[in-house]
Amino acid sequence: MISRNLRPLLLLLAAPIAFFATFFVAPIAVVALASFATDAGQFTWSHYLRILADQYHWEVILATFRIGIVTTLACIVIGYPLAWYMVRIIRLKTWRRICVILLIVPLFTSNIVRSFGWMVLLGRNGLVNDMLVSTGIVERPMRFLGTETGIIIGLTYILLPFIVLAVGNVLAQLDTSLEHASCDLGASAPSTFWHITLPLSLPGLIAGAIMVFALAVSAYVTPALLSGGKVTVLSILIFQQYSSVFDFHYGGALSMVLLILTLILVAMAGRIRGKHLDGVA
Amino acid sequence: MARLIIRLIAWAGLLYMVLPLVVIVGTSLTAGSVLTFPPEGLSWRWYGIMLDDRSYLSAYATSTVLALAATVVAVILAVPATLAIARYDFPGKATITATLMSPLVLPNIVIGAALLQYGSAFGLTRNFAALLVGHTIIIMPFILRSVLAMMTPGQRALEEASMDLGANAFTTFRLVILPLIRPGLVTGAIFAFISSWINVELSIFHTTAQLDTIPVKLFNYIQYTIDPTIAAVAALTIIVAAVAIVLLDLTIGLDVLSSPEDSQ
Repeated sequence: MISRNLRPLLLLLAAPIAFFATFFVAPIAVVALASFATDAGQFTWSHYLRILADQYHWEVILATFRIGIVTTLACIVIGYPLAWYMVRIIRLKTWRRICVILLIVPLFTSNIVRSFGWMVLLGRNGLVNDMLVSTGIVERPMRFLGTETGIIIGLTYILLPFIVLAVGNVLAQLDTSLEHASCDLGASAPSTFWHITLPLSLPGLIAGAIMVFALAVSAYVTPALLSGGKVTVLSILIFQQYSSVFDFHYGGALSMVLLILTLILVAMAGRIRGKHLDGVA
Repeated sequence: MARLIIRLIAWAGLLYMVLPLVVIVGTSLTAGSVLTFPPEGLSWRWYGIMLDDRSYLSAYATSTVLALAATVVAVILAVPATLAIARYDFPGKATITATLMSPLVLPNIVIGAALLQYGSAFGLTRNFAALLVGHTIIIMPFILRSVLAMMTPGQRALEEASMDLGANAFTTFRLVILPLIRPGLVTGAIFAFISSWINVELSIFHTTAQLDTIPVKLFNYIQYTIDPTIAAVAALTIIVAAVAIVLLDLTIGLDVLSSPEDSQ
């Protein structure tokens, strides 16, 4: 039985597995090994200790997390109502379709192009400052480029579609009979939302939020363009090690930190989504 | 009241989504020589300047050839893998599936750096082969995911019927399996093509002055100077994205957020 099954299986899997082993698993293994090695090839913890010991790195990691957290919160605050609007409020199919397209066109456009749009918008004489000054909200143009605020605005823009689609999918699949029952039993609309709809949509929201956070802390292009060299995040630090400092051992240790952090977050998101799917089935 | 607030936030959110793209297309049409929005007058002049600069055209060509080649290689590798995953049980299946899917979520900058460090031992850096290999790795999950979604256990009976009637494995694949998975294959391939076409984080380690993809060229250029030519180049990539989405809408339909009861 096994031998009959084994031959086609090997034929199907040999090429993809060989390709991934050679060009994906092996390179990451090389980075992992390099992060534990001295120039002479001896085992060492020193590259990791260097990350822990240096105050500058703590500040970089802290800034990375701060940007990630604020971006995630901003995505939730804008994304949940937007998803709700698209699934529950819009009645016209064409308009809903247009909204989905408006969300997806940016996803199909390079981070460079999207960040570039914000560089134009957020500049000293950009549209945003023009509006803020002319409406009297601020007296003088604000500085966005080169600040964490600017990076957060850009990242929120780039990651918002992920959360809208994650929440929107859950809301669209949701069995509305529970909500009808709640209303029939005399609960007010807000009470139904807080006690029924929100808890039911929470798994989608949390899984989406974790994905957004993981993508925000590992983003490179948007922080690099909107920071103007004034704010450093983990991915910028990694890029410097490989492109200008040429310290592959230390760069490897930084890469491993980012990689493992991402893996933990993704595994968490997967568990939450998995549990949720079990609950539905 | 709550409904009004939701509407206001949603409209603000939608405005937020379109604003940067509108600004880029707008500034690219300016008749003036500085990057401003709203544009000063309308003209195609910066598109003309872009078309006169051979380096932009060659970057567009590189990006397109790379994305097409990577998509083809990824399809060739991914389709057999999805057949194995969907139709067989074997030890290590979960690990293999997770590994094949993982480039979707791992930081591309780490994958790019790893490939640079690894490839430098045998010349697989800063050339088309390195770009092709890296892009294939990062776009394969899109094809795996959408093809796997089209495969259901029930199809097994159709395949067995085909084999029983004397068709060989290849004929069965061509006449039975391929038509069943075609929508997923097309969707996955479009997503894969676009992810390659817009990639910066991986490409940036392997491009050179002669071998530049359009996003990397834009990235390097924007850090030093900003002029309306850049806006014209960027606007063109937005148009490519819009075309890809129209294609997607025609193949699968983008009505992804309708609740089941709406579609009665």
